[in-house]
Amino acid sequence: MLRKILLVTLMITLLAACAPQTDPTTAPALTEPPATEAAATEASAPADPTKDTYVSTFVDGLGREVKLRGFAQRVVSLAPSNTEILFAIGAGDQVVGRDEFSNYPPEAEALSSVGGSMGQYSPEAILALEPDLVLAAEINPPELVKQLEDLGLTVFYLKNPTTLDEMYGNLQQVATMTGHEAETETLVEGLKARVAAVDEKIATVTEKPVVFYEIDASDASKPFTYGPGTFGDLLIERAGGVNFSTVAGVTDPYPQVSLEQIVASDPDVIVLGDSIWGITAEAVKARAGWGTIAAVQEDQIFPFDDNLISRPGPRLVDGLEQLAKLLHPDLFK
Amino acid sequence: MRRTPFLLSFLILAVALLLSLAIGSVLLSPLELWNTLLGRGTDISSSILWKIRLPRTVLIALTGAALGGSGATYQGLFRNPLADPFLIGVASGAGLGAVIAMSVQWPYSFWGLMAIPLAAFIAALLTVLIVYTLARVGRTIPSTNLILAGVAFSSFATSLTSFLMLRSTGEVRRALGWLLGGASQSGWTAILAITPYLIVGLGVLLLSGHALNLLQFGDDQAQQLGLNVTRAKRIMLTASSLATAAAVAFSGIIGFIGLIVPHIMRLWSGPDYKRLLPLSILGGASALIISDILARVLLAPQEIPVGIITALAGAPFFLWVLRRSKNQGYW
Repeated sequence: MLRKILLVTLMITLLAACAPQTDPTTAPALTEPPATEAAATEASAPADPTKDTYVSTFVDGLGREVKLRGFAQRVVSLAPSNTEILFAIGAGDQVVGRDEFSNYPPEAEALSSVGGSMGQYSPEAILALEPDLVLAAEINPPELVKQLEDLGLTVFYLKNPTTLDEMYGNLQQVATMTGHEAETETLVEGLKARVAAVDEKIATVTEKPVVFYEIDASDASKPFTYGPGTFGDLLIERAGGVNFSTVAGVTDPYPQVSLEQIVASDPDVIVLGDSIWGITAEAVKARAGWGTIAAVQEDQIFPFDDNLISRPGPRLVDGLEQLAKLLHPDLFK
Repeated sequence: MRRTPFLLSFLILAVALLLSLAIGSVLLSPLELWNTLLGRGTDISSSILWKIRLPRTVLIALTGAALGGSGATYQGLFRNPLADPFLIGVASGAGLGAVIAMSVQWPYSFWGLMAIPLAAFIAALLTVLIVYTLARVGRTIPSTNLILAGVAFSSFATSLTSFLMLRSTGEVRRALGWLLGGASQSGWTAILAITPYLIVGLGVLLLSGHALNLLQFGDDQAQQLGLNVTRAKRIMLTASSLATAAAVAFSGIIGFIGLIVPHIMRLWSGPDYKRLLPLSILGGASALIISDILARVLLAPQEIPVGIITALAGAPFFLWVLRRSKNQGYW
């Protein structure tokens, strides 16, 4: 009896879930260039992208086709990294709303917030800002994208980059949508030059210190750190260090590791990404069991702005420079 | 006089529904609201009203109704004032299903977006089925066994959920948001998907008042009074599990409503389950709508997961009702 009921239930769910999908409301396409891979498709010559009648098609990080009329003039950013990208490429004036955590650049804080803590955004507040583009990121669940799409909004989901080159690609993607390609060209060239300058100096390094990057040590006997595949890992290696996770053979991207393992790996430098929460070098020295670590004995414990690493935007390059300077102060005098 | 609680419950529900349409992070004046209701609003105000607030309100009301009704049923079924709709594993099962589904990168499509609620729903029902099977002794289902098996299996599923959340990379926030409850996926699809289960589930519960009244004498007595106890229990468990699983699939885990609403109604209108069940369904809907309004406005435009509000606002309210009640031996 019970089994039958459950079986029937299962079948009803499957049927009920088949309810028709609502078509996303998108502007009628006047020009529809075929979409190529993630990059923007520039349309055939005569059309003028500054005109409102020009429709360009993009493919976003969820594989959705996004149609945009002219350049986006009223953008709502749903992630701190997106906000930083928009301002960095010179589209700051076109941003009308931001998520709760967007606090850089300072001008962004003056914009009205549309929520975002605990993953709860207010679709009402987003709609009321009348955006012509909502720029979502990987911290936003696809359900939210769908909900906003159903409200008739144009949503572009910007995938997280995994390399600096992909990050430049994201800058260019947003630039194409907001009409700042020329400035962004210059910006990216500048960023690349700064990275090259770091690379050049680091190339001479022969001894690479082992770095333990502390994301959170609320429990000092098992703190969290950056593992492989994260920008934390990538930037430490690029700045001429060896990430603790590599030494310890950790595979998770955000592993929680035991103090024993840290002591055994004996890092030469400890970087405090949690310094924004008030963690200081003194606090680390006072922790039970940390005293034997080389970095603690030689006072190589440094505060660091974790936003320069955790937000996949143009300030990653700032993060790289600062890390390189921390690890190899002699080279950056 | 005997009708008063029903009339009042309907009135409260109506007021809550109206408030829920009127209040949100974007202010709509009464005039704007009126015009929008009559179809004369601006594009934005009609979108906000018809596409955001109304579906959300309906989903929340249905969820609350399911939790209230199932809560009253479980308390009667187990003759235990601490019972709530999650007692034998619906919530922990749903949570596990949802978190497993979240660990997969689904394609952005209708089915990809349905994966999480569907997994939650199926896992919730599977959990109840497992617990039921584990607790069965021959042809009977002793309540104590059911509770113990439910609690043990719930702990197991909850630990597994926590473990998966720790292992996951970027989905912790999303999972946490889900586990704390709140109508994350709104729109009419969710409502269409859960309504059939709620109609069947709550419909059966509404007819179970007499059986629950008999069960209050104990299983043996109820059997002697002509009730097929095992069958009645099985039907009621299935009906309330269906309703609860459907409710949590889209709204996440919302605690406390299923526990306190039946108690408030019992304090108010007495222990007769024929009245208590419909009152708990109405009251559950109103209570959750009011909690959701608070969740939307307290930190607007921030939204608080509604599961936090139900306990944060619900517990003091319930304690106040309990203190005021002169009816000490109401249970």
